[in-house]
Amino acid sequence: MTPLEARNPTVKLLLLVAVSLVTLALLDPATLVLLYLLGLAAARWGAGVGPRRLLLAQVPFWSFGVGVLLVNALSRPGEALVAGGPFRVTHEGLVVGAALALRGLVIGVGTVAFLASTPPRDLMVSLTRHARLSPRYAYALLAGHRMLAGLPRQWATIRAAQRVRAPLGRDGRPRDGWRAWARSAFALLVASIRASERVALALESRGLSAGPRSVWRPVPLGAGDAALAGGVVGVLALVLAAGAVLAPAGGWW
Amino acid sequence: MLAEGGAAGAVLQVTGLEAVLDGGAGVGPVDLRLAPGEQVLVLGPSGAGKSTLLRCLHGAVPHAVPARVSGEVVVAGRAVAEHGVAALADVVGVLAQDPETGVCLSDVADEVAFPLENLGTPPAAIGPAVAAALGAAGAAHLAGRRTDALSGGELQRVALAAAVVARPRLLLLDEPTSLLDADGVAAVRAALAAARESTGAACVLVEHRLDALAGDAGVAGLPGRWVVLSADGRVTHDGPAAQVARDAGPELLARGCWLPEDVELAAALGGAVAGPGLRDRVLALASTAPPARGAGCDGVTGPRREVLLAARGLAVGRGPRGRRGRRGPAPEPVLRGVDLELRAGEVVALVGANGAGKSTLLTSLAGLLPPLAGTVAGVRPGLVVQNPEHQLAGRTVAAEVAVGLPPGPATDARVAAALARFGLAGLADRDPHRLSGGEQRRLSLAAMLVHDRPVLLADEPTFGLDRHGTAAVLGVLADEARAGRAVLLTCHDLRAVASVADRVLVIADGRLVADVDPLGLVRDPRLLDAARLRPSRLLRWLAVAVADAGRLRDALAALDARGGFAARDPGAARATPAAADPGVAPVAGEPGVAPAAGAPGAALAAGPAEVPAP
Repeated sequence: MTPLEARNPTVKLLLLVAVSLVTLALLDPATLVLLYLLGLAAARWGAGVGPRRLLLAQVPFWSFGVGVLLVNALSRPGEALVAGGPFRVTHEGLVVGAALALRGLVIGVGTVAFLASTPPRDLMVSLTRHARLSPRYAYALLAGHRMLAGLPRQWATIRAAQRVRAPLGRDGRPRDGWRAWARSAFALLVASIRASERVALALESRGLSAGPRSVWRPVPLGAGDAALAGGVVGVLALVLAAGAVLAPAGGWW
Repeated sequence: MLAEGGAAGAVLQVTGLEAVLDGGAGVGPVDLRLAPGEQVLVLGPSGAGKSTLLRCLHGAVPHAVPARVSGEVVVAGRAVAEHGVAALADVVGVLAQDPETGVCLSDVADEVAFPLENLGTPPAAIGPAVAAALGAAGAAHLAGRRTDALSGGELQRVALAAAVVARPRLLLLDEPTSLLDADGVAAVRAALAAARESTGAACVLVEHRLDALAGDAGVAGLPGRWVVLSADGRVTHDGPAAQVARDAGPELLARGCWLPEDVELAAALGGAVAGPGLRDRVLALASTAPPARGAGCDGVTGPRREVLLAARGLAVGRGPRGRRGRRGPAPEPVLRGVDLELRAGEVVALVGANGAGKSTLLTSLAGLLPPLAGTVAGVRPGLVVQNPEHQLAGRTVAAEVAVGLPPGPATDARVAAALARFGLAGLADRDPHRLSGGEQRRLSLAAMLVHDRPVLLADEPTFGLDRHGTAAVLGVLADEARAGRAVLLTCHDLRAVASVADRVLVIADGRLVADVDPLGLVRDPRLLDAARLRPSRLLRWLAVAVADAGRLRDALAALDARGGFAARDPGAARATPAAADPGVAPVAGEPGVAPAAGAPGAALAAGPAEVPAP
């Protein structure tokens, strides 16, 4: 079990929200880079995410970040660094764009670390115990999570069932457009609604209600979680302080 | 009505229960009283409301499924109308049909602990209770496993453990084996017996596959008390199994109910249920059964028939569940090295355990899943999938049949002919999602066959149908073969296989292990075991007595005819004769099916002469 896996999911979730909120107040790229590096370290060694998976998980956030950076660099007014034809890259745009992109990266890597170290079951048990989430929602979400895993298989079955009657295209493969796709989606919707009705009934017939319930294998909340919370808050404060001291007087622009 | 305390002694007290669902279907009036530990089997034709009755007993109707309900249901002293489903969870355990949706959580132990947690059981008591329930359900070895890695039979055992863990006083079982192979059924049977023994719960069972569930014990392996519902949902019989079987057996058989084989044989051939001399009467019937004409390729008379579809060195498989990414590693084949040929005019059955790769092979043969290795050569086949709803793409029944055809008067005429042939003409404007299971199956066949593909692949086409529906579907498949098509079907009903197939392909351990005729399969215990099939007593008797597979089929057809079933076109009476399929032999002219030829209504009325009228 990795160090973060052993920690209470509700505490981790609160810390992730706190870090995200703090990040939203920051516009200093250096501080954000530092936070991002710390986040990467937490995901790699705290949550035990392998290097390859960690890299892959960053791709969507990087793509988003590059987009944000380009839009800001090209569209923000300010001191021009490069100008060519209709394009004009400003210093302000670059800095703000980098900061906004880094915010996304920090929140992204935090989420990766959180999800990789938190089994859904533990999260829901902890949320019902420590955050007073209604067990009706928590267990409906868990059952839904289990159903989601079966959807790709069902989609493949439905597509096959429907494509068999489609006329063949020139390449000899069934030719069907977005209409057929929509019909398959509708069939999947029908099947999913029926399945979820059955799951809901199964949950209820096992006594799931909003009332008080006991928990067989509770998720612990203890000193380790307090230490984690203290540690994260402390490091966050240090990084903010360092950022404030090291930042060039009068800001980056 | 009895006072709360007055119901002591009865686990279940149903008084004047009548339920009408929003769609108009319903059940009742029903009166039923169950003593502690009493076991009841509910029988009735499809649409009689057997499942609705079970759902009324634990409050799913009307608390979860809207319905108008009158009368009273009291379980262990609690009026169901005043308690929700969840508030009855400590006294009622429920096991439903679909294993995938009967298990809700990802971890086996959590799933079984879940009902106890909901009841507020002290955590210290939960661990031992979970272990005991898993043990009683024969699932102790599954503790600690993840539920998404379990087979259907394993999931049903876990669901059963969760149903009995709170030691309910009443257990409701709604077709718990319908999706399982013989191993899965055996697991559920053992689990049920152990659970009943350890909890002493009363039990209400609805089940189609009664012989499979009863196992070698025959009728004695089923609940001792039977309740029969009529087509309109009334209780017509309620009493000891033997008596109800004698009184209601023939009528139930005529109405298309699945009955235990012993009961069916007694009703069709006369004599007492499981009485002496039954075997002799079966063998006498077999020896005098009229030969069917022209069914299948006998290999002696005809020349070698044209190969319509051939697979060479085929390997098929899908990626692991939920990970069908293009970047991932190539999926592991579920089947490899498959060589097979489908010839014009033959019905071939494909059998194998749950998860052996039957559906995947069919999808690949249909050209809808690229093979991982090898080739499929031949004409483009048609395919009907196991769940007809997956195939629905039209807004109305008529539009559904027309999907994929070019619009125009020619198509309209073909659609009309197909609707008439399958007895769907009266439903042409209905929403296909609102049809019954049997109607949806006929619709899916009509919608595929109207494309006139030379090869038809059918995945469990008889699943979930009553006997009339099954006979109709098997009749269509045989007719299509006679008209010159090749038919490949998967089926886990060995009797259906023996009554329709010319050849049987057996898959096991990732390979095609045998290509035999049905008799060869029934006579080969190793093959049967590999395919997770268990022949019923009837098939075992016949396998010893008949000379070849053709005679086996003749004997089964003769028995079906005695019971009022015969393979025939579902809309035969209404069809324009041979307009769409010139090659189809007129079924009514066939020997051996005389009592049943004609409209379904006529078949119902034509009972065998020696059966006493109910």
